[in-house]
Amino acid sequence: MRRSLIGRTWPNVIAVVLFVFFVFPVYWMIVTAFKPDKDIVSKTPVFLPLNATFDHFKTAIDAPKFWTYTANSFIVTILAVLLSLVIATLAAFAIARMKFRGRKGFVLVVMAAQMAPWEVMTIAVYLISRDNEMLNSLVPLTAFYMMMVLPFTIFTLRGFIAAVPKELEESAMVDGCTRTQAFVKVIFPLLAPGLMSTSLFGFITAWNEFPLVLILNKTEGQTLPLWLSSFQTNFGTDWGATMAASTLFALPVLILFVFLQRKAVGGLTDGAVKG
Amino acid sequence: MKRQLIAAVGVAAMVVGLAACGSDAKKDDTKTGSSTAADGKKDYSGKTLKVWLMSGSAPKGWEDSVKTEFESKYAGSKVEFQVQEWTGIGPKVTAALSEGSVDVLEVGNTQTAGYAATGGLLDITKDKAAIGGADWAANQSESAILDGKQYAAPWYVTNRVVAYNKDLWAKAGLTATPKTLDEFYAALDKLKATPGVADPLYMPGQEWYVYFGLLTTEGGKLAKKDGDKWVGGLSSPEAQKAFETYKTIQGKSVTGAKDKDEAKPQQKDVFGKGDVGSIIGLGWELPDEKAIPKDKIGFFPLPGKTADKPSGVFLGGSNLAIAQASKNSEMAKDFLAVALNDKNEGLVAAAGLIPNKKALNDKVVGDFATAAKDAAVVGGITPTTPNWAAVENEPNPIKEFLTNALTGDYAAAAKKADDEIAKRLNAKQ
Amino acid sequence: MAVHSERVQTQSPASGKAAVATTETSAHRGGGAGTPKKSARPADGPSFGSRFAPYLLLLPATVATLALLGWPLLKTVLVSFQNLNARQLVQHLTEWNGFENYTEQLSDPEFWSVAGRSVAFTALNVFLIMVGGSLVGLLLNRLGKKMRLLLSIGLLLAWAMPVVAATTVYTWLFETRFGVVNWFLDTLGWHSMATFNWTGSQYSTFFVILLLLVWGSIPFVAFNMYAALTTIPKELYEAARMDGAGAVKIFTSVVFPNLKPFFLATTFLEVIWIFKAFTQIYAIKAGGPDGLTRTLPIHAFLEGTGRQHYGTGSAIAVLTILMLGALMAYYFRIILKQEDEL
Repeated sequence: MRRSLIGRTWPNVIAVVLFVFFVFPVYWMIVTAFKPDKDIVSKTPVFLPLNATFDHFKTAIDAPKFWTYTANSFIVTILAVLLSLVIATLAAFAIARMKFRGRKGFVLVVMAAQMAPWEVMTIAVYLISRDNEMLNSLVPLTAFYMMMVLPFTIFTLRGFIAAVPKELEESAMVDGCTRTQAFVKVIFPLLAPGLMSTSLFGFITAWNEFPLVLILNKTEGQTLPLWLSSFQTNFGTDWGATMAASTLFALPVLILFVFLQRKAVGGLTDGAVKG
Repeated sequence: MKRQLIAAVGVAAMVVGLAACGSDAKKDDTKTGSSTAADGKKDYSGKTLKVWLMSGSAPKGWEDSVKTEFESKYAGSKVEFQVQEWTGIGPKVTAALSEGSVDVLEVGNTQTAGYAATGGLLDITKDKAAIGGADWAANQSESAILDGKQYAAPWYVTNRVVAYNKDLWAKAGLTATPKTLDEFYAALDKLKATPGVADPLYMPGQEWYVYFGLLTTEGGKLAKKDGDKWVGGLSSPEAQKAFETYKTIQGKSVTGAKDKDEAKPQQKDVFGKGDVGSIIGLGWELPDEKAIPKDKIGFFPLPGKTADKPSGVFLGGSNLAIAQASKNSEMAKDFLAVALNDKNEGLVAAAGLIPNKKALNDKVVGDFATAAKDAAVVGGITPTTPNWAAVENEPNPIKEFLTNALTGDYAAAAKKADDEIAKRLNAKQ
Repeated sequence: MAVHSERVQTQSPASGKAAVATTETSAHRGGGAGTPKKSARPADGPSFGSRFAPYLLLLPATVATLALLGWPLLKTVLVSFQNLNARQLVQHLTEWNGFENYTEQLSDPEFWSVAGRSVAFTALNVFLIMVGGSLVGLLLNRLGKKMRLLLSIGLLLAWAMPVVAATTVYTWLFETRFGVVNWFLDTLGWHSMATFNWTGSQYSTFFVILLLLVWGSIPFVAFNMYAALTTIPKELYEAARMDGAGAVKIFTSVVFPNLKPFFLATTFLEVIWIFKAFTQIYAIKAGGPDGLTRTLPIHAFLEGTGRQHYGTGSAIAVLTILMLGALMAYYFRIILKQEDEL
């Protein structure tokens, strides 16, 4: 009895401490965004934005081309994620469920591809794009972002497909399904959490990418990370506007997370029931 | 199996489709590029001139004024300003110069020689007169000259002065602005003892522009050419003397961290709090009207050791250059003539910046500009050499030298920085 | 490792569907229409389509990888043998200089200290992330519904924070004069921290970077761990329980073997991500103070793009890739071994 009481209290206490640890930076970002300048640079931090102001958000949104940047970011990110999901699902299915010559080699390439240090390859990517007249366009950007997340997506989806007990698929096939039908009816629903989590990953990666777009798209096709960095000019950081911009920048990702995470969990239980 | 096949083919088709999109974009690009063959001499109709300006650089109203004037003078032409952010600007400009995606661009005066040496800037020596270069201020124009050739037109310079909080100075019983460094120190000490003053002078340790000014006063140089090799100049006696002054001034700062530069935190924010007596800064580093009203801030040049001359300053500024790869270079030259005419340079002067012609100096207005103008006389710039831009690249060895010398041994700090400066200046092109 | 995985393999058929398992081999080879069982070669299915199906499925991924990754990689290698500075870039010049960039780096003591630092930094960070993340994952599994939701929200927010934004926020949290961390420490009674400059020394700068990385990475590991715990098929627990296994036995025979692949994959990813971490380190102090927090990617960027010595930068990039490959060789072997067991 005593043991279970302790066993129940401590995890909760730790959970609360951890909650504060993880949430505080996010909270502080949002609060700072709403604070007037005087409260931002005050000796005693102001923890509640009682004199809330939208000035910083206005500064952030009024920055030139904000809406263009936003549209570009969404287009590039969503396309990159969708493309990588399609390509990766096909590949993941092949390496998770089929035997063929060269499978091992392909897996090796996928793993190696995950190590690609894109930040230090920007110059190569730039030279290729420049020499093929592919600058200031969303197309190469989408393609490269797709590539940045593709290995992870294959790797993860492969894991999800492999985790589906073969017997499920096979029993479906015994029931008269073709292999494709078995995939669609059995594996695909169970894959939902995998698709969700990989698309989240992909979204975050593409949404955040900075070094490449900085050099590839200097006049057109710029995305939001460039806008965010514009608040840290050579003459320092406008903390209020930076935090407001960070908040706006983080918002779509946060929303998507909350939305997809629920679906992902839902998919998980679905799978469990069907399994 | 069939469906798998269909799916695979479908994806392949999508990939091909995307590739097609790629070549569409390509076509568009070349179209804007190739429609530039000039037939009539001054007919720029249908042409667009791409002009890069740095974020926060052009004075208010300048862009509109130049655009309107140019577009009405050359009917049918278009000027497109693109504001560039400072982040990663070096590689970005190099890349743009290699592509020909920009016609006219703003380059920092200390960076101009570097860009010129890459072969990316158009030699405008012959067009200098047509652009209005006959009476450019020599100390501004020289930053754009490499091996006797003019690679850019000076636009403006500006320099740092002491900005002070009038209320706090009055509270400390200070009525006149200091004329010598000793008077300045005394004033700061007085301020420090005044209640409500958190810091008499906010000055972080890495204010290398201030140090540069003091070095100029002592007759020292950050680097010198010895034969055909560059050597760092921080180990020289002049440099050490300048540093002693720097150390004394910085030592008066209570809250300025020894390893921070003027950007983090922004001086504007720190000064804006209202409990800081003074800062040494540029016109755009002043707090918002909301934080401290304009008439509550006074200015004076950083005094010298004697009252006859203020301390030296770093003449930071911008030049306007034409890209070598520009397909609209004639148009770009005519653009420079408009952009730098007396009317538009007057706008620059009115914003408190020092214009490129001495004749326009009387148009400089404002308390800041008046103080800045006095100090500009003793201003200098960094060595005009192609590799100088590399020295200013982060991590900037001069900034690290200041931190190290403020917290440790001067000789060791100077040697380390000199080695790094020499390494960067002598690097192969 | 191989032993554990084999146990997973042998256990799953044992979980009650032996009848299905016997059809596995024939069903696996394309429709199961009387394919001879003895065939060990993978590509001897009956129809042309099924024989090439795996290759067709892999085609888009292969084409994309070759064009979008292979090409830049090749280009990086080529550039690493060139003297490519701003001038060559602007004028589209190609100047080969053999191994000069490599000998320059390999004989530079700074390169080696940066390399050593990168490895140590990665090891410490990944250790903290994996231990912390696993514990949080186990905690999630143990918590009641409401507390689990609360902690999940916290983790989710930290995870969802875009790196660019998170790094900016951390700079602000640890700001010298107005940062809330210094205020907090001061209020706790540690007054010398009131205006502590976190980016003033190597270790305090690394502390901030470490905290930022750990904070941002734990959620992924924790969720993964939690997900791994929940995806263990219930039948496995039941079967084990029916066999009379206790809690410990269930952990060692059911949970652990099932978790191990996830654990392995996660460590693999974290090592890569931390080793490659760029934005976090760069934005906090750009590898400073005095270059003492430079890791290999930062070094490659500062020497290459920063100074516009792209050949040098590319050489460092290639060396970085090789080093990461060497670090990962162990994992590659394990994972490739697993492939054999499929």
